Amino acid sequence: MTFDLEFSLSIIPTILSGLFTTLWIALAACLGSAILGFTWEALRRSNRWLGYLMRFVIDFIRSTPILVQLYFLFFVLPHYGLTLPTAVVGVLGLSLYYSGYLAEVFKAGIEGIPAGQFEAAKAVGLTRLDTVVFVILPQMLRNIAAPMGNYFVSALKATPYLAVISVPEMFGLAMEIGSDTFRYAEPIVAVGIIFLILAVSIAQLVRLLEARLMASSKR
Amino acid sequence: MMDFTSILSGIFEGFRVTGLVTLYGMMFAVPFALVFGVLQYFTRGTTQWIVTAIIEFWRSSPVIILLFMMYYSLPSFGVNLSGITVGAMALGLNIGGYGSQSVRAALQALDRGQVEAGKALGLTRLDVLSLIELPQAFVAMTPTFINQFIQLVKGTALVSLITLTDMTFRAKEIAQLEYNPVGIYTALLVAYFIICYPATIIGRRIENRLSTGQRGNRDF
Repeated sequence: MTFDLEFSLSIIPTILSGLFTTLWIALAACLGSAILGFTWEALRRSNRWLGYLMRFVIDFIRSTPILVQLYFLFFVLPHYGLTLPTAVVGVLGLSLYYSGYLAEVFKAGIEGIPAGQFEAAKAVGLTRLDTVVFVILPQMLRNIAAPMGNYFVSALKATPYLAVISVPEMFGLAMEIGSDTFRYAEPIVAVGIIFLILAVSIAQLVRLLEARLMASSKR
Repeated sequence: MMDFTSILSGIFEGFRVTGLVTLYGMMFAVPFALVFGVLQYFTRGTTQWIVTAIIEFWRSSPVIILLFMMYYSLPSFGVNLSGITVGAMALGLNIGGYGSQSVRAALQALDRGQVEAGKALGLTRLDVLSLIELPQAFVAMTPTFINQFIQLVKGTALVSLITLTDMTFRAKEIAQLEYNPVGIYTALLVAYFIICYPATIIGRRIENRLSTGQRGNRDF
């Protein structure tokens, strides 16, 4: 069987019909993993024993494959009577996986802020919550924008995993074309090129954003 | 009904494949990272552009697509490889792509004076690279290297999708014999955790030790 260029071009519109799904899942996963990751890190800092427990949770998440975490959620949640749409399970899975990495990003972000900032906030009478929300978070966001952007690109590149739990994102659609036509090479190469273009251009965007943030922090 | 330990030992029957794909994967990842990281550091202009394009292809494509692309497409170009080789190549070159970036970053982070001092001593550029720059770069990139090794181990779960009997594949086989999703998938998570956790701990130890001096680059 030879590679049919005309066929691979003709299926691009079908594959691109999953682009929106791919993008919203990546975006939702990015948001979800940021919220979860921040929660893990906040809990880890709250007290000593919870700290050890959360350290372990974060390490556990980071030491297991995303594919297995997805299978776990996909098969175990229904066992406890929780049947969610596959796309939601997918977003949960990606959020969980990347939360382990983002917790580390937040850790580095918090530790990158000089202790004087905390002390100054305390001195002017801010509560702990106010300190975190108005003093620490804004500074932290600037420090962590670049690594967060990189993890967003990673999450985007991980969306094809959701094909294994039959979410209709681009890779899933490509595999469907494969099983319908018995030609796998063309749809997979086509979807690969689309993902490559997407990943490289978003990574470039992140780099631009990073450069702007760096420029704005200089005075 | 199987108990947890027999599920776990059933899953570890797939360890041979998981281990082999990891090992062969390293054989692709390490040379690729070294050669392309050094090339990207040394070359300029069009050559550097080509080197970067090759790295970006392996690094920026989703690894699951790389794997399926090679598994399904190579035969239609007349290239027939075994499943383990295809898995090791796709996963290894993907990780190698990331690795090349840590090699390049570690080389760039070194003081330029090192090269000049080496040259002043009469060493060739290649000697400077192999005797002065690379040894220092290796130290700086050890934590990243360990992280990427963990990514590779975890990535091997994907080969279950091209029907290799690794740990994940074994878990799915057991899941077909009996309905016990909680036990089976918990055991599978635990199995990978047992393998990866020691590396996570060692990586953090080394990183903490290094960060008192110079911080390693965290590309992952």
